[in-house]
Amino acid sequence: MAKALDGITVLELCGERGQLMGKLMGDMGARVIKVEPIGGSETRNIGPFKDDEINKNQSLYFWSNNTSKESIEVDINSPEGIQIIKSLSKICDVVFEDFEPGYLTSLGLGYDELSKNHQELVMTSLTEFGQDGPYRDYKSTDLVALAMGGQMHSCGYDDLPGAPPIRPYGDHGNYIAAHYGLMGTLSALIYRDFSGKGQYIDASAHEACSSTTEVALPAYLYPPNKEVFRQTGRHAGTFPTAKTLCKTVDNKYLIVFRIFMDLSSWIALVKWMDLHGMAEDLADQKFKDMAANRTAGTEDGDYAMEVLRKFIATRPAEEVYRKSQELRFPWGVVRSPEENIDDPHFNEDRGMFTDIEHPEIGNGVSYKYVGRPYNFKGTPWSASRPPLLAENTEKILLEDLNFSNEKISDLISSGVIGVS
Amino acid sequence: MVKLPLDKQALSGLRVIDFSWIVAGPQNTRILADFGAEVIKIENEASLDYARHIASPFANGSPNKSPLHSTLNRNKKSITLNVMHPEGMEYLKELISISDVIVENFSAKVLEKWGLGYEEQKKIRPDIIYCSMSGFGHSGRDKGYVTWGPTAQAISGLTYMSGLPEEESAGWGFSYMDHTGGFYGCMAILMAVLHRNKTGEGQHLDLSQVEAGIGLTGTAILDYTVNNRPFRRSEMPPGNRAPERRIAPHNSYKCKGEDRWCVISVTTDVEWDLLVDSMENPNWAQDPKFSSMESRVTNQDELDDKINQWTQQFTPQEIMKFLQEKGVPCGAVQTPSERVEQDQQLKHRNFIATAPHAELETSRVESIPMNMSETPWQMKTSAPLLGEHSADIYLDLLGVPGEELGRLFEEGIA
Repeated sequence: MAKALDGITVLELCGERGQLMGKLMGDMGARVIKVEPIGGSETRNIGPFKDDEINKNQSLYFWSNNTSKESIEVDINSPEGIQIIKSLSKICDVVFEDFEPGYLTSLGLGYDELSKNHQELVMTSLTEFGQDGPYRDYKSTDLVALAMGGQMHSCGYDDLPGAPPIRPYGDHGNYIAAHYGLMGTLSALIYRDFSGKGQYIDASAHEACSSTTEVALPAYLYPPNKEVFRQTGRHAGTFPTAKTLCKTVDNKYLIVFRIFMDLSSWIALVKWMDLHGMAEDLADQKFKDMAANRTAGTEDGDYAMEVLRKFIATRPAEEVYRKSQELRFPWGVVRSPEENIDDPHFNEDRGMFTDIEHPEIGNGVSYKYVGRPYNFKGTPWSASRPPLLAENTEKILLEDLNFSNEKISDLISSGVIGVS
Repeated sequence: MVKLPLDKQALSGLRVIDFSWIVAGPQNTRILADFGAEVIKIENEASLDYARHIASPFANGSPNKSPLHSTLNRNKKSITLNVMHPEGMEYLKELISISDVIVENFSAKVLEKWGLGYEEQKKIRPDIIYCSMSGFGHSGRDKGYVTWGPTAQAISGLTYMSGLPEEESAGWGFSYMDHTGGFYGCMAILMAVLHRNKTGEGQHLDLSQVEAGIGLTGTAILDYTVNNRPFRRSEMPPGNRAPERRIAPHNSYKCKGEDRWCVISVTTDVEWDLLVDSMENPNWAQDPKFSSMESRVTNQDELDDKINQWTQQFTPQEIMKFLQEKGVPCGAVQTPSERVEQDQQLKHRNFIATAPHAELETSRVESIPMNMSETPWQMKTSAPLLGEHSADIYLDLLGVPGEELGRLFEEGIA
């Protein structure tokens, strides 16, 4: 079956900020050629590693962000390397890059150069701060991005004295930037198909993060111009809200909110608590009225929450999660990522995880990866193993650029390219 | 080649029927609208977009004054249409027949109950692209489960991954998965449009907010499936440190002022030397236990204490500018007001866009975070007032005769 992005070719000159764009396109059918510097992408040095062995082909971080790509190892600071990138860009629909602003242009690889005689080209530069402006040359990391973008101001603790604001772990500054960069790129491809004209996209991670903080800016931008403050495990707010984290008997947590949602859910919840002899006085009419009226923020409500909290503390997390969802409460169990692998809804019914073969590690060896983030019913999603460093250098030069074997040997010996 | 008018946008000509509400769905269609799609919000006074209720204290009951709604719905149109009325449903079907995309983020099965599941949509418009955005997707044993943004974050693992080691989860202080669920819905639609334009085939895009969240935990999943190492272990989550990158200092540090912070993230030995130089070469920094990246990581508790003592003489903005000028990655943990009033970069890039608004006077919203050379984004219109475009759409798009329009409103059809 045809894949949604069949026929689209992408040249990816990206490290940690931009790599997800190529992966998402590759998994949907685009051909993605990842250009790596001599010695390999910096992202190959980020852990964890398979068997904790620091090795450029065993970074699990690299694996998870680089499926469905080919790898070519090229020194883009050499004249021959620059020529290779120029030639490759001619067969590509999209170029992704996340170098410091102006770097590719200084090498003669800017959009003006690459789009000569190739006006259909879409090129997306995904930098931290954009191509211009006073912070243009500021240095950044995922941590800096989430600090300046406002995420950290909203994430942390209100009941842990002296606790700092928290950067949610897991590359989310990079991901927010890449999501936006990809959306811009896809829209530009739609426009290109219609108009025949490509374009240059100057995308900024800082702006992307800054526009991904929900109520924090609207609350400030409009009267009464309040700033949100951090609260443990729940929304930062302009006013304090009840704690939603509830500990369970197996030392896990649930988030519990909207306990007064409707009468029938409430009655069923109290009945369940009563079966375990822990409903106390929650069967009283006043709580039923509060449930029917969805009353929030009262002392009686706080009291009911405390009784519920005591009950939840005696039950296992997954049991409370299942039971509460059956009663139509929107509560969630706070899972560690690996705990989803055994959830039959995601694993068996939805096929959310996928086995990818790693023949380079051993015959018949495969590992379970996170699968598709969306379920296209008409076009398939599939991921192939992330490339070994320089795995495809020779094939690309031979088949796409028609280089001779001698020329390739010369380039290897002069250090312009690397092969696996 | 077609000659295009100057104000052409990337998605000009793409019509989207938008049933979405609250945050996740509107985040998706906001981006489509920002790229130039004609997004028509189907609304009804009986079941308003909940975000219209999240109003400022000055709203006086108006559905048009919600700050959150105003930022999520700029550049869209609003029509009131009662899908529960048979005539309303007929008009809706006519609208579908001249549209490209349908977006909704109801619970699974709502559209099927209306008789508007994908198979029915296809009968009306064979190449329709239908994007459903529910918590758990439209198939599977838990498809009826109820999620809000925080629920999806908890189940997917993202809440657990945010916090200090050995403490409760800090989690996310906002509905990150409403934003990100919206991004995945939008990406899916754009890919499906590319496919449709090439093949003539539409399709159903079955989005699950929890799955989009799980998709962001790929490295942790592999650490488990390859190394058998669960993320649920005593040293994780790592607070603001970066064990996976084996670099230090990498943390948040106290600054001058109450609850004010900066972050410093030293990725190379060169940056360490620049930091030491910026601190005026204190004696402690010459200690061999801080001389290599590896030793700094090993001794980072002590390292962080030392840096914390130094940073407190500066405000976050001061230290960010000072260290960045020296070449050290450093950022202020910016408050909302700093992002709006003091961030010179966001100012330079015109990050806050404005447009006139009938009830808020002026909308002030975050702009789309990129400059596009051929199809720049435009803040064309503020979020629509409830039903602002009803008359235009009934009269011009659906061809309702002028004398009929009044009846549609009176009889609760429109």
